[in-house]
Amino acid sequence: MVGPIYIIAIALGLAFLLGFFKKLNANIAQTFMMAGVGAMSFISVQWLFGHLAGMVTETVTYTAGFKPPFSISLQMGAMEAGVTSMINIFGFLGGVYLWRKLKEMGLNAIIIYMVTLMGLNVIVLTRDLFNLFVFLEVSTIGIVGLILLERGVNTISSGFKYLVAGGVISSFMLIGTIMIYKYAGSLYINDIITSNIAATKGGMVALFLLLIAVILELKPFPANGWALDVYESANSGISAFLSAGFATAMLFVLYKLMPMFPIEWQAMVAVVGGITFIGANLLGIRQKNAQRLLGYSSAGQMGLLTAVIGLSSYLNEQFIFILVTILLGHYLAKAGLFWLAGIVKEKEINSWSLLRREPLLVVLFGVFILTLLGMPPFPSFFGKWELIMKLAAGGQTTWILAILIGSFLEAVYLFKWFGYVLKGENEGLPVLQIKPEKIISPVVFATVSVMAGYYAGSLLGETNFAFYIPLMFIAAIGLLEFLPAFVKNTFAIAGMGYLAYTTLPGLFETDLLRFIFMGIFILGGILTLFAGYYYKGKRQGFYPSALIMFAGLAGIIQAETLLQFFFSWELMTIGSYFLIIRGKRSMTHGFSYMLFSLAGAYAILAAFGMVDAQVGNMLSALGGVTSHATLIFALLAIGFMTKTATLGLHIWLPGAHAEAESDVSPMVSAILLKAGVFGLLLTFFGMGAESAGNSSILYVLGWLGAITALVGNLAASFQEDAKRLLAYSSIGQLGYILFAYAMATQLGWIGGFLYVINHFAFKAILFLTIGAVVLRVKTHNMYEMGGLIKRMPLAFIAALIGIIALSGVPPLSGFAGKWFFYNAVILKGWYFQGAVVFFAGVIAFLYSYRILQTVFLGQLKDEHRHVKEIPLTFLIPIYILVIGIMIFSMYTHWVLEPITQYLTAYFPSDPVHWDGAAATTSLGYWNGTWVMYIIGIMFVLILGWLLWLNAKATKVKQFNMVFSGERPFTPETTHMAHNMYAGYNKALGFITAPGITTFWNKVAEFVTDAAGFIRRIYTGNGQTYAFHIVAYIVIIYFMIF
Amino acid sequence: MENIGLENIALFSGLILSLVGLWGLLTQKNIIKMIVGFALLDTGIHLIMIAVGYVKNSTAPIIGEGVTKANAADVIADPIPQALVLTAIVIGLGITALMLAYAVKMHQKKKSLDINHYKDLKW
Repeated sequence: MVGPIYIIAIALGLAFLLGFFKKLNANIAQTFMMAGVGAMSFISVQWLFGHLAGMVTETVTYTAGFKPPFSISLQMGAMEAGVTSMINIFGFLGGVYLWRKLKEMGLNAIIIYMVTLMGLNVIVLTRDLFNLFVFLEVSTIGIVGLILLERGVNTISSGFKYLVAGGVISSFMLIGTIMIYKYAGSLYINDIITSNIAATKGGMVALFLLLIAVILELKPFPANGWALDVYESANSGISAFLSAGFATAMLFVLYKLMPMFPIEWQAMVAVVGGITFIGANLLGIRQKNAQRLLGYSSAGQMGLLTAVIGLSSYLNEQFIFILVTILLGHYLAKAGLFWLAGIVKEKEINSWSLLRREPLLVVLFGVFILTLLGMPPFPSFFGKWELIMKLAAGGQTTWILAILIGSFLEAVYLFKWFGYVLKGENEGLPVLQIKPEKIISPVVFATVSVMAGYYAGSLLGETNFAFYIPLMFIAAIGLLEFLPAFVKNTFAIAGMGYLAYTTLPGLFETDLLRFIFMGIFILGGILTLFAGYYYKGKRQGFYPSALIMFAGLAGIIQAETLLQFFFSWELMTIGSYFLIIRGKRSMTHGFSYMLFSLAGAYAILAAFGMVDAQVGNMLSALGGVTSHATLIFALLAIGFMTKTATLGLHIWLPGAHAEAESDVSPMVSAILLKAGVFGLLLTFFGMGAESAGNSSILYVLGWLGAITALVGNLAASFQEDAKRLLAYSSIGQLGYILFAYAMATQLGWIGGFLYVINHFAFKAILFLTIGAVVLRVKTHNMYEMGGLIKRMPLAFIAALIGIIALSGVPPLSGFAGKWFFYNAVILKGWYFQGAVVFFAGVIAFLYSYRILQTVFLGQLKDEHRHVKEIPLTFLIPIYILVIGIMIFSMYTHWVLEPITQYLTAYFPSDPVHWDGAAATTSLGYWNGTWVMYIIGIMFVLILGWLLWLNAKATKVKQFNMVFSGERPFTPETTHMAHNMYAGYNKALGFITAPGITTFWNKVAEFVTDAAGFIRRIYTGNGQTYAFHIVAYIVIIYFMIF
Repeated sequence: MENIGLENIALFSGLILSLVGLWGLLTQKNIIKMIVGFALLDTGIHLIMIAVGYVKNSTAPIIGEGVTKANAADVIADPIPQALVLTAIVIGLGITALMLAYAVKMHQKKKSLDINHYKDLKW
């Protein structure tokens, strides 16, 4: 092992040597520098591997031949090895990134770069307090020197502000250090820890000054304006240095010094960190400048990490894991994003749509944003998970809430940014010029992030290899992006087919609930993917996104532990977000979908934390929860209802589903919504509906379901946009499903399952059909369609069957659903809710009729005279589903009888008896097969009669008619389609008034206004910033003394 | 004078000096005056450091007249604060120099030394 002293020797030696050769060619000088930094990286990495492999133990190097306190000692433990590795590897890649800039600035810049890096190494390694101070100053001087790589007036003035602030902070640090020496008689950190100087008042003050100086170096909110200005205006490579290198070293200093401070101060450190995490992220919401935004985010992340250090006593053996994974996530993501900022060169985040010209950059950006947010499969996901679990185990509910709020605020601006990148206007923006040396470093860091995620997951002892197989498959598909869409489509379908083959038979034997949902997810996925053969070209980004969603969906079915479930749940959310935002006008809808989904996911995470604290991490142990059961039940219900789009949490759905691509709408509507239902069922099955607390929540959920059904159906009736109509109809249908399950009786749940399967089938049929029609006629507006039955008879038949199944008219399965439903309502005694649901059912006829009448019936529009039948690639999955729904309607008992038996385990008093196809309850009986036969015979008879009548009819031309004394000349005047239910709208429209949307908009407005108000403390004046620092010290001083 | 003690004078004047310096740094609008304020703050802290290391009636920490290896620990003043002060002076010099360099650059850009004229970055 090469000793850590050589890190310093190499850097200092090279720096001095280079100083002698003023005339040296910059290329050679820089090669020397890179070789030096490379050697420094090698030394720290070999120590890191030595520690990981258990080959070395914590090693202390003494300098000057004396033992401390008479000399300075350098300690190379596992943590030090890790942190110096991070710093030096960053230094190396950052050097590559800055290659051209450093060369341009010449030898002095090269020397300063190396010395700054060395300073950070010593800060980490040293065990001597004064040495720490000296090298902190060396690094600060170095960084401020490097800020001068850019010579704009804003950069220079921000550097001066930084110096002033840094000067004030280091003054306090110096006083603290010398006072500590006075009281402890030593500057050796280990001596100070054991000397208990906190016993005297003076010692306390000394420690306080040191601690507050270290905290201030971490840029706590609100005393951090000086740093934000530098982040904004410095060269992006230097901002990356500050955020990834400097902040990492300073955080380690806090970690290293913590044992010196009284244990009671930990709470203060945690609070300071928590306030920074929430405050910085709140103010980030209003920020439009990319580098300043990253500055806010950087301060926020350091706040979170400070809080983690302060909360270490609750985190026990997982403390280091949490600290390292979150720090690593911050380090990789922030360096990567700052580097990308240097490539994009656009200041405003809404100009970052530029990235789309280079797909690799979009992928890198995505990896970094998701890493920063702690999304799977990146390392900080596991860190945040463990953090919440441990806090829950310690009963720290407030802290969980604070961390989730901060994370959510962070997600708000990061996903807004992501939206701009994916969907923003990029016409008229300058051309991207990517220099090779600037792209290497981000690629390396993104790769490291993925690998570190896998490693972190395995450290948690999860058998997560199985969860990575689909991800590897997706990565492989991602590498094949250059292939045409139909090839990738075949691969995707083959992958899904393989998944179906390996999982479904096993699930059929073991778990009917999971079998049904897995069937919907995978088979539905294959059918909707089939429609994708319609698309020509490469369809960039579609297949990885769709497969991430399906991998997540399959994952939540297969998950055994809470962590696996949450991992898959987040994966599904990310994939579906990418899918939804692909639509032409989907930017805002994708954004609101993500915000609701994340808020829901955080509710689930909080609930899982409380579950884990009580009964461990198995999903099946949900039933063992004893304390806070009602709260957990409610949190889970709210979390899952963000996905089922229950009233109040539904405002994202209409836009997201309607604006999505034609084959994406059925994926997210027919399939994805069922994930929320599955989650609700897991909760209901797991936690039971019996306990008093739960049953009152279920009562509320029942009403919520009923009202959702009513409002959803009513709003659907008033839509002009065909896909919006179907989207609102989904809200209504999911309302029925929620109502059915909330009844918590066997009949209700049988009805619920029936509805789940039914809604999947008919909504897939309808969305595929209408989506294909939209592809043909190029409009969503129903009043611009009409008479399409003549051009698209097959589409009409499919839509008709879908509508029959939807509206619950015999003979199709919708009727069976209603039969069970009303049986259940009557037996449960929920008459009022039942009446609301019944009324909603009547209203469903309004929109069912509207979509058939205005799209397919009436007069054909002139511009559609030559429109073709919908594409075969859509017809095939549609008709497979039509046949499926026919069979399901005729032989409903094939599915429902096993479900009844399955449910008997939960509801032992068995009110349904099956006799072949006939189901009997205390209220009556129903036989699907016979209903089908009778209606079939009636249908054939009436159809024959009509055909016979039709043969005698006189054929007339389209406008050979007169009504109201007028002779119409255009198809529009004969076709009442626009504002079709004006009368109903006048009478009942108030129910659908967008009050809930207004409410959420007000919430958003309030938050952004608050952010806009608070951020005015950053006046831009360097003296104000220095004053903030002094005031911060004084306030905290009075708070703890 | 005798009973006040030299170290207390140093401590007290150091405190006054650093407070004056801090005051100057926070209130003077002229950048050069701010830097002077910082220099005063720094010097004040150096005085405080010296005061901390002072031991009454002891001699300089140099082996020689009356100071032998055997009795050194009893008769000399603590040498460490003095060593630290030397280092701190060097660092303070570095930072002051850098501040002045920045002041020159800022003046070149905007022909102004008023800190209020450099507020383009905010919020």
